[in-house]
Amino acid sequence: MINNNNNINGSMSPSSTNAQSQGLKTYFKTPEGRYKLHCEKTHPAGLLPFAHGKSITQITLAHLKDKPAQAALPPSSSYSASSGVRFVAAKILGGGGNGGRALSFVGGNGTSKANGGTSRSGSLGGLNGSNSMVNSNFDGKGTYLIFNVGDTLYISDFNSQDKDPIKSIHFSISNPICHAFDSEAKDGHDLLIGLNTGDVYSVSLRQQLQDVGKKLVGAHHYNKDGSINNSRCTSISWIPEHDGAFVVAHADGNLYGYEKCKDGTGDSSFPVIKDQTQFTVAHAKSSKSNPTARWHICQGSINSIAFSTDGKYLATVGRDGYLRVFDYSNEQLICGGKSYYGALLCCAWSADGKYILTGGEDDLVQVWSMEDRKVVAWGEGHNSWVSGVAFDPYWSPPSSEDVGENVVYRFGSVGQDTQLLLWDLAMDEIVVPLRRCPPGGSPTFSNGSQSAHWDSVIPVGTLQPAPSMRDVPKLSPLVAHRVHSEPLSGLSFTQESVLTACQEGHVKFWMRPGQSESQPSNSDALLSSSLKEKTLLPGRVGGSSYKLSNSS
Amino acid sequence: MHQDAHEFLNYLLNELVDILEKESQAAKSDHETSPPEKIANGPKIALANGAQKEPLVTWVHKNFQGILPNETRCVRCETVTARDETFFDLSLDIEQNSSITSCLKNFSSTETLNAEDKLFCDKCCSLQEAQKRMKIKKPPHILVIHLKRCKYTEQLGRYKKLSYRVVFPLVLKLSNTVEDADAEYSLFSVVVHVGSGPNHGHYVSLVKSHNHGHYVSLVKSHNHWLFFDDENVEMIDESAVQTFFGSAQEYSSNTDHGYILFYERLAAGSTS
Repeated sequence: MINNNNNINGSMSPSSTNAQSQGLKTYFKTPEGRYKLHCEKTHPAGLLPFAHGKSITQITLAHLKDKPAQAALPPSSSYSASSGVRFVAAKILGGGGNGGRALSFVGGNGTSKANGGTSRSGSLGGLNGSNSMVNSNFDGKGTYLIFNVGDTLYISDFNSQDKDPIKSIHFSISNPICHAFDSEAKDGHDLLIGLNTGDVYSVSLRQQLQDVGKKLVGAHHYNKDGSINNSRCTSISWIPEHDGAFVVAHADGNLYGYEKCKDGTGDSSFPVIKDQTQFTVAHAKSSKSNPTARWHICQGSINSIAFSTDGKYLATVGRDGYLRVFDYSNEQLICGGKSYYGALLCCAWSADGKYILTGGEDDLVQVWSMEDRKVVAWGEGHNSWVSGVAFDPYWSPPSSEDVGENVVYRFGSVGQDTQLLLWDLAMDEIVVPLRRCPPGGSPTFSNGSQSAHWDSVIPVGTLQPAPSMRDVPKLSPLVAHRVHSEPLSGLSFTQESVLTACQEGHVKFWMRPGQSESQPSNSDALLSSSLKEKTLLPGRVGGSSYKLSNSS
Repeated sequence: MHQDAHEFLNYLLNELVDILEKESQAAKSDHETSPPEKIANGPKIALANGAQKEPLVTWVHKNFQGILPNETRCVRCETVTARDETFFDLSLDIEQNSSITSCLKNFSSTETLNAEDKLFCDKCCSLQEAQKRMKIKKPPHILVIHLKRCKYTEQLGRYKKLSYRVVFPLVLKLSNTVEDADAEYSLFSVVVHVGSGPNHGHYVSLVKSHNHGHYVSLVKSHNHWLFFDDENVEMIDESAVQTFFGSAQEYSSNTDHGYILFYERLAAGSTS
C-alpha cells in the first residue's frame, strides 16, 4: 500500500482506477431477483482529458426496422442510395459550415483510420472488424446505442457484446450534446443531434451506418453556426404524434420548434426578449422557415425537456429550479413547481402521463402528479445531484393480490454519486406528513390519492413555490447500487435491461432477472413470460438494499 | 506562519473581534471619564454598560456567528446534555462524488460514541456509550463552509490533499435546523485551492508549505462571477463555477478545487 502510494510519475493512477472498478459489483439484488452486468459499451481510449467535462455523455437508443423500399427514401437526387451518396453528402456538409475538411475522407476501401493516434490495439481491432458491416449494402436493421463523448458521436451495436462502437462521427471544433431518435420518422431522417454551438442536424441513422467516413452525411442543418441562437443545445426531442416536428432547448432559456420539411431559407428572426423572466412564444414571420417558433421559457438554462407519450404535454426543467408543464399545441403553461433548492437537471414522464419525475441539485428525486398539479413525493437516497430519472415501462408489480386498485410504478434514478437507485411508487402507501395544526382545526392524515385535502386546489398555469421539507412525503429507495466510478449522466430502461451511462462515456447494460444470459432478444413473448415467472422472492433483499418504507 | 486559507479566515475573524472589543472597551472607559452632562443621558448609558457585560456582539458575530448545540445522550440513563457552541464556519468531512448537501447531512447525523470515545456520564458516574448529534440551532447570516480537503494519512505520516469531487449548488437550504422555516442561502464566493502538490504524486502539506499551494477566489458581484488570481481579475460565466468541484478520479489533471464556500442567507420569501 505504501509502495503504491509513493509511486511517483503518476503510475499510481491506473492502479487506483482498477481498484475503484474492482470495488464495483457486477450485480445487484431487487425483490424480483438479480440484475446482472451483461456488457459494457465504451469509446476508444486516448481522448484528451480536456475533451471531457465540456460535454456530458447522453444516451439514445435507436431501433432500425427492416430496410424500407427505395420509395421511402427522400425524393431528392442526392439520396441515390449508391456509393455516390457519400460524396454528394459530403459536399452538402461542406457547404454547411464544416469547411473543406468534410471532403477529405479516408479509406474508400473500408479501412478507415480509426482512433487517430491511440495505442489501444483492442479498440482498433474492434472498429476495423466492424468495417465489414459498414458498406452501402448494409441495411442497418437492429438496435443501436448512440452516445456522445467530447467532439464525437458514437454508435454501438446494442445486441453485440462488443465493447467498442461500430461507428464514430466527428464534429471537429464543436461537441454534440444531445440527440434523439424516432423510429417512425417517415422520410428516413430519424436522428437529431444538437451541438454546443447551437447548431442542429437531422440525419438518417441508416445512412450514417452505411457510410465509412467519420463525418456526418446527408444532414439537414438548422440554426447554422448558431445564426438564430448560439447558446448550447441542452436537450432535443421529436414531438410524439407530430411527424417531422421536433424541439430544441438551449442554455439561454429558449426552446425552438422545427419542422424538418421546411427548408429554412425564409426570415426566421425573432423579436428581442424584453423580460427574461416572462414566458413568451414568438412565431416565425415566414411560414416556410425554420425554426417555426421560439418559446422563451425561463431565465438561465433549460437543462432537460420531455414530451408525454401522447405528445400533448411538454415538461421542461432548468437552472431556475422550476419544473414547467406546457400544453404544447396550445402553447400554454399548465402547471409547475420549484425544486426544494437549486437547479433541476433531468425529467421524465410515466407512460400513462400521470406522473413526472425530476432530479436536481437538492439531491432529491421529485415525483410530480399531473392530477394534483404538485409534488407528491420526494425520494431521498442520493448523496449528490440527481442527473437522470426514468420510469421503468416494462416492470409489472410482482403479485396481483395486494395491488388491487393501487397502481404501482417502478422508476430509477442515477446521480453524480455514481449510484443507480430503484424505487417503487405506490400512491396509496404515501402518507402525507402530519400537518401543523391549522387554527381551529385538528391535524389530519390523508393519503396521496386524496391529496386535494393537503392544499387547496391549484389553478391552471400557476407555478408552485418550493415546498417545505416537512410537508412532502418521503420515499426510500428499494435498491442503491454503485454502478460506475464516475458520476452518472444517463439512465434508460429496455425490455431486457437497464442502461446506465457515466459522464465520461461508459455505458453498462444490466440484464433483468430471468433474462437469458446469452442472447438479448427483442421478442415480446420471451420477456413477458420470463417476467411473470419471477414473482417476488421474499428474504432476498441484499445487504445493499433498502426496505421500502415511508420515512418522513 | 500558517498559509492555510481556512486558518487565515479564522485568524482574521477572531482578530477583528479582538480589535472591535478593544475599541469598545476604550469607548467605555471614555464614557466613565466623560463630563457630567453626558451622564444626563443616564438610562441609555446604563443600558449600554449593562449590555457590555455580556460578550460584545460585533458585526462579525452578527454576520458569521451561528449556534450549534452539541447534544449528547447517554445510552444508559438517556440523559441529554446539550451545550450551545458558537461557530463562524462549519468544517465538513468530505467523501468522493458527494454533494455539500450530503456532507451537511452527515455532519448533523447522529454519531455513536463508543469503544474509546465513550462519554463520561455525570449521572451514571462512569464512561458510557452515548449518541452525539450536531444540529444547527441558529443559522448564521453568512454560512461559511470549509471542506476538509487536507487529511492526515497515518500511512504516509503527513498531510494529503483530497481532490474529491464535491458538488455545491448555487442555492442551498439548511433543513436540519431547529428553526421552523428552512433557511435558504445563495452562494456568493468560493476560495479555490490550486495544486495537487507538485511533482505528480507527492503529497504536500497544504497547511505549511508556502510553495505548493495557491489560492484563487470566485466572487459574485452584481450578478456576475469574478475570478481573482493575484493581480488578474476576469469575469467568468456562472457555469464555470462547476469546474471547481474536484475530480472523480484521483489522477485527474484538474487541480483546482473549491475549498471554502461562502453562502449568504436570503430573506424569507425572496427568490434567487
